[in-house]
Amino acid sequence: MRGSPLLRALLAFVVIFALGYPLWRVTGTTVAIDASAPPPPAPVRSEVTLQVTFTTTPKKFTIAHLGRAIWEETAPAGEMERKVSLEYPREGVELHVTAEFGESTGPSAARIRLTDAAGDDHEQSLWGAGEIDGIVAFQ
Amino acid sequence: MKTLILFLLVTLPLRAADRIRVSSFSTILTEVATEVGGSRVAVTGHVKPGIDPHEFEPKPADMKTVGDAHLILLSAKHMEGYVGKLKEATGAKGRLIEVGDGFASLKLPGDHDGHDHGDEDPHWWHSVTNVGKATKIVRDELIKVSPDDRAVFTENAVKYLARLDGLQKWTKTKIAELPRDQRKLVTSHDAFQYFARENGFTIFAIEGISGSDQPSSKKVGAIIAVIRDQRVKAIFPESIQNPKVLTQITKESGAKVGRELYADGLGDGAAATYEGMYKYNVTAIVEALK
Repeated sequence: MRGSPLLRALLAFVVIFALGYPLWRVTGTTVAIDASAPPPPAPVRSEVTLQVTFTTTPKKFTIAHLGRAIWEETAPAGEMERKVSLEYPREGVELHVTAEFGESTGPSAARIRLTDAAGDDHEQSLWGAGEIDGIVAFQ
Repeated sequence: MKTLILFLLVTLPLRAADRIRVSSFSTILTEVATEVGGSRVAVTGHVKPGIDPHEFEPKPADMKTVGDAHLILLSAKHMEGYVGKLKEATGAKGRLIEVGDGFASLKLPGDHDGHDHGDEDPHWWHSVTNVGKATKIVRDELIKVSPDDRAVFTENAVKYLARLDGLQKWTKTKIAELPRDQRKLVTSHDAFQYFARENGFTIFAIEGISGSDQPSSKKVGAIIAVIRDQRVKAIFPESIQNPKVLTQITKESGAKVGRELYADGLGDGAAATYEGMYKYNVTAIVEALK
């Protein structure tokens, strides 16, 4: 091949760039993501009815959902009912139930019934001595 | 089995003043043996907190300690590739117990980057239930070595198991703060199969982007698509050493990077105990995914 070394080097650079750039575009990590893609759907809220029945009337009672109290009673009855609005994904919900009884109380139980928006009933029970502190899951 | 125990009792006589020498190759088992054995054991933790057990290789000093031990505890499930060397070092003296083989394995999906575990997840301690089973195995092995201390080991194990029960209860309550449809763990280190199974999470492994190699745009695009489709708020990319890729994944997917999790055992500070390590991981996961 004839020509000055400078020209030959320049030519080689042009050839490498011409071949390398498309390769870099193909294998590079720039990814086209559709920015106009719809945002994730908001969590579905659902009206449900909670019914709680105790074998022994507690002194205090709380139900929490996602770390926040949704039902608190400082003078609860043995049987109570309330409608609440919850985020209710198809994977179900978990409720954190706590109840305090007197120190001399023996084993006590709470039955929690959830009636979902479709009218289906789900039931769970928790046991404890002196207190109840547990998670019930409904799907 | 009875012959073996008799042989051990003859070759390793334990007087009341002697302490049982335990060599442990897992930070979790070091804690379990210390708690269950109490003042009756002298536990040597060969794998120190913060050390990657995948990379650990015993040194001659470790072999000497192992050779003098009454009981050698291993994680098992292919975590210790040097188990053959240990067996040679122990000869017929100490009891070598592969604790993790005492309970069921969970399979790893796809390739497990960088480690050679076969196709099972060796990180069994991310299930509190498994640590409870390990506690019972260690208790029973200590009793075999020193039957006179049965009452002490049994009582200590009961106390430790009660703490594990408390930890499990705390974990359930903490995880209840997270909606069930957000219990999705996107991680590049397949170390949390047992955690996911026990706590109701689904794992989406972001495979093929560990290390400093440049992954393909197709691979990165697929990861971003998974994160977006699953509406995952945070990812735990423990071993991605390519900051450009990580930046792109978080920018395009909208997910943030969660705190680094303790995948391989105990660490420092709050994670210096099993309870502390587990609570740290659970809190980091729940707070990031909320």
